[in-house]
Amino acid sequence: MKVKFPLILCLIMGIIGMIAYYVPHKAVQNFDNELRNTALRIIFAFSLVLGVGSIIRHHWEKIKRKREFWEYSYVTLISLFLTAFIGLFGGIDGKGIIKMAIGKFSFDIQTIYVNMAIPLGATMFSLLAYFMASAAYRAFRARNFEAILLLIAAFIVMLASVPPVARLIPKLPYISEWILDVPNTAAKRGMLFGITLGVLSTSLKILLGIERGWLGGK
Amino acid sequence: MASRRIIYLVLTLVILIPLLRPFKLKPLPMKPVEKLFYYINNLPKDKALLISVDYTPDTEAELHPMTIALLKHAFHKRIKVGVLTLTLLGLGLAEDALRVVLKEFNEKAKTREDSIIYGRDYVFLGWQTPPLVPLLGMGESITKVFPVDYYGNKTDTLPLLKEIKNYRDVGIVVSISGSAIPMLYVTYAQTTFGIKVGAGFTAVSAADYYPYLNSGQLTGLLAGMRGGAEYEELLEEHFGKTKRRKATEAMSAQTTAHITIILLIIIGNLIYFLKRKKR
Repeated sequence: MKVKFPLILCLIMGIIGMIAYYVPHKAVQNFDNELRNTALRIIFAFSLVLGVGSIIRHHWEKIKRKREFWEYSYVTLISLFLTAFIGLFGGIDGKGIIKMAIGKFSFDIQTIYVNMAIPLGATMFSLLAYFMASAAYRAFRARNFEAILLLIAAFIVMLASVPPVARLIPKLPYISEWILDVPNTAAKRGMLFGITLGVLSTSLKILLGIERGWLGGK
Repeated sequence: MASRRIIYLVLTLVILIPLLRPFKLKPLPMKPVEKLFYYINNLPKDKALLISVDYTPDTEAELHPMTIALLKHAFHKRIKVGVLTLTLLGLGLAEDALRVVLKEFNEKAKTREDSIIYGRDYVFLGWQTPPLVPLLGMGESITKVFPVDYYGNKTDTLPLLKEIKNYRDVGIVVSISGSAIPMLYVTYAQTTFGIKVGAGFTAVSAADYYPYLNSGQLTGLLAGMRGGAEYEELLEEHFGKTKRRKATEAMSAQTTAHITIILLIIIGNLIYFLKRKKR
């Protein structure tokens, strides 16, 4: 029953989802709307509880067993509770149930977000520039005909994004657009067809209970 | 190891110096950007612009200027705007973009009519999950999917949402994202309801979106910093100078970085061929 029930539920829900897409009858559409707008949201609300519970348990275990870098788990847990507290009681601009300000300095959720989350996230992403430059220098070699083609295409697309060069050689941006619009689109479409067919067959296998990886492989 | 350190140092300098002292650049607007700009520019008065802020802080530098430029465009043209997000982390970014643009517009406003007012000119619907709910639900009723807005107001009491009820009242939805969320708008909103969709994304994802532009499923594209800068250029051409053009300013650093990377590739290949000759 532990395996059969989720399989039957998955099949029924999958069929309902498909029927709603093809049958415009009001009763079917209303049922689908209700399912999507109410049931799906409730299920997702539970995933938040699961997520928060899981992160607390993971880091608490790490601290308890003093695993590698366990000190950082304190940072995660303190940040989690502090941000949640400020967000829940301080509101968006610090004027919630509890006033989140000392004098003129407000430490509301938006201030924390703009001054901490954004710079930290942007810093991590900006490191990519260094990896790309280093990789381009060491790995981008004209070893064979295909690599030469790739190099030429990359040069044109990169140079076209440089405004002074684009103004100097007015045809360059159009050649770059053509590369993206024609050879790139052709290749991407082929890949997309392949991927979509793969997704379709995997979805059918899941609905019919052939693929059971999501049940823990049972 | 030493060469890697030199590359990192050179790259730091070529990015940092133009960031601190940007030089004047005049981006050349390309067709995908023009298409989006003119579609929004020619929106009928009764149609709204829906901006989906679907990016996270990591891509803020590249994508935030697009949101700001779109908001500026809409407020210049007095197009009604709905802002929402399908990613939780997009909430703070959307709020920040609104604060920046509202400050600029309302500082200049002399009357209430000139001002940009919440509920009359724009709404911030907030976040809703899972994405399927707002993507399909907004085709039926926006207020049903978002019963309260980001600030806790009941959406059915807001004047703007009495006029803008569902996708039929929306001229175009522009999803700005560092992930594949614009594709979800194409798959669900565009295919099911026929709504026009525009997309803004990081430069590395540009190749993924061109097939959708080619097929007409996307109305226009903003690809990376360059896309944002081109949009800012069109804004300035049509509405005069604005306070800051963040994408255009950042293009200085991107320009020098691109040239440096091209030079590094050339140097790398020269060394490779010289070594091969020696062998």
